[in-house]
Amino acid sequence: MKIDLANPAWRQTLPPARTISADAPVAACAFSRDGTTVAFALGDGSVRRLPADIAAAPADAVPPIHGGAVLALVADPAGDGFVSGGDDGRLLRIAADGTATELFSQKGKWIDHLAAHRATGAVAASVGKAAVVVTKGGEVREFGPHQSTVADLDFSKDGSRIGCAHYGGVTVWSIGQITQGQTAPPPRRFAWRGSHVALRWSTDGKFIATGTQENDIHVWRMAQATDMRMQGYPAKVKSLSWTADARFLYTSSQPVFTAWPFSGKGPEGKPPLQFGEEGAGLLSVVAAHPAAEFVAGGYDSGELQLGDIKAKRSVVLKMADGSAITCLAWSPDGFRLAVGNERGDLLVVDLRR
Amino acid sequence: MAQAQVPVTVLTGYLGAGKTTLLNRILSEQHGKKYAVIVNEFGELGIDNDLVVNADEEVFEMNNGCICCTVRGDLIRIIEGLMKRKDKFDGILVETTGLADPGPVAQTFFTDDDVKARTKLDAIVTVVDAKHFLGQLEQGSEAEEQVAFADVILLNKTDLVSPDELAKVEGKISAINPYARIHKTQKSQIDLAAILDKGAFDLKRILEFEPDFLTHGHDHNHEEEVKSLSITSDKPVDPDKFQKWMGALLQLRGGDIFRSKGILAIDGAPKRYVYQGVHMMMDSDWGSPWKEGEKRSSKLVFIGRNLDGDNLKRGFEDCLKQ
Repeated sequence: MKIDLANPAWRQTLPPARTISADAPVAACAFSRDGTTVAFALGDGSVRRLPADIAAAPADAVPPIHGGAVLALVADPAGDGFVSGGDDGRLLRIAADGTATELFSQKGKWIDHLAAHRATGAVAASVGKAAVVVTKGGEVREFGPHQSTVADLDFSKDGSRIGCAHYGGVTVWSIGQITQGQTAPPPRRFAWRGSHVALRWSTDGKFIATGTQENDIHVWRMAQATDMRMQGYPAKVKSLSWTADARFLYTSSQPVFTAWPFSGKGPEGKPPLQFGEEGAGLLSVVAAHPAAEFVAGGYDSGELQLGDIKAKRSVVLKMADGSAITCLAWSPDGFRLAVGNERGDLLVVDLRR
Repeated sequence: MAQAQVPVTVLTGYLGAGKTTLLNRILSEQHGKKYAVIVNEFGELGIDNDLVVNADEEVFEMNNGCICCTVRGDLIRIIEGLMKRKDKFDGILVETTGLADPGPVAQTFFTDDDVKARTKLDAIVTVVDAKHFLGQLEQGSEAEEQVAFADVILLNKTDLVSPDELAKVEGKISAINPYARIHKTQKSQIDLAAILDKGAFDLKRILEFEPDFLTHGHDHNHEEEVKSLSITSDKPVDPDKFQKWMGALLQLRGGDIFRSKGILAIDGAPKRYVYQGVHMMMDSDWGSPWKEGEKRSSKLVFIGRNLDGDNLKRGFEDCLKQ
């Protein structure tokens, strides 16, 4: 891929992006494992599945599969469909042909955060104060309860553990061999006062980063269990994204792309790398490219930017329109970027010329 | 396209006072409006409705060194989640358990930017059990604090007490909080317009409370631990001195000050300065302009525990231009 952010003419070569109006807030979006399908989780209880090239896709609404809103969506790591969670307390596997089967359900709880692990085919979900892991084979194992509701979770690089964010820090559980009736080994706890609202395990497995309610981020080194805190955000940091090579951690809640360097000695005592055009409002979602040195950023104003950390530049892919961007997802090949917003606009940007 | 802020009503009251009855009525009656109801973990609503959300009452202390800066993290998440639904609400009701301090709920609406952008705290409604209120006051501070926080009080189960008993309960409520509007009810029967969409936290509407501010030159009983007091002055206020005094006061005494509000005549300013606070959290703004020739006076109200009236009065007087 040859995208030259220094040359403004580059943008003109982009094929026109089509926007489909779904008329319901978009909570999450994802491309399927094989990259052929893109899906958007909607506030009317439906999951809109479209061909990855949405230019020719039908714009019709689809029937809801969740009662209430769909709150979370990931690509199914064990197939070419998706897995969704909703405020009806149900975790659904949506096969490539669109049929939905229930993996887990708990009435009265919301399933609002999901993580998927490609190599093991497992899915993790937050269910109130507990987390559940559903294996490739459909076995369900519960972890918790934690001291408060699980606010976010993620798998370790090798898929052997999950990290859960909650009040007072992070709890890491070994998933281990899942055998019926077996009790989980004791978890490791990483404590830091306050409410941790976002969690991402670094792509090399060495760090866990959280965003907190109190406008900072916290990072633990897994090996030494030492931690660091980065302050100076004007809002709570709800979106974190590690680069594929784990050299940088992108964070939301700034008007420009903000990346903390984790190569060498780490970010302690250093300012973050900030680059690109100052956007309208603050970044609400950031998504590092799956392979290249690019990053996508959606703003609470609706602006969409593509940044290049090497060139330290960014371009605006979509102007602010007043509807906050709520989710971003890169296709597995890194050529397409799916975008959803509060108003219900579904957008796929194709970055190939 | 900024979305309209959804009004949020906080519903408190001692166990058995009639909160659940009220919520069931709001959910089942035909009123053409759609309310989401966030119930506490012990809530026993008879209605199975997807507009009912269970909350865990997860309170956490903000990392800012102030012990009274507690907020409800679960509410932040639930409100963010509700806003992801396609169907929008005319209002949200948050029920607290009978023994919960309504402070953290109210403070959540002062603290979180996302919650502030999408919702606005409308009023704190407290349901009081006319039969058992006096007894509950003896059992602990909760019943008293719930009344102290209230903008609207449903004095419920009035059919279970004699007129004399009722008058005594009413007198007690007024001694704690003379600024709340009291509605006498049986079986929580109330016109919803009396409790919803009151704008009690709307800075633009603080002026509507003005008559209360003035008429209640309340002689409070000194044995009351929780009480209210008001301070007035016709001298212009020095804004810097006031900021400093109020900031320090709330930092030090915020835990004891449940509610505060005021209208200030700032020296040289053409408009009223209005503020509204819960514990140490505060919102303030410019209000309506003073009219030509209008007498410019400032009024402050505090409702709280262990309030030292003389000290507060002296503190405020130091903020006045001489």
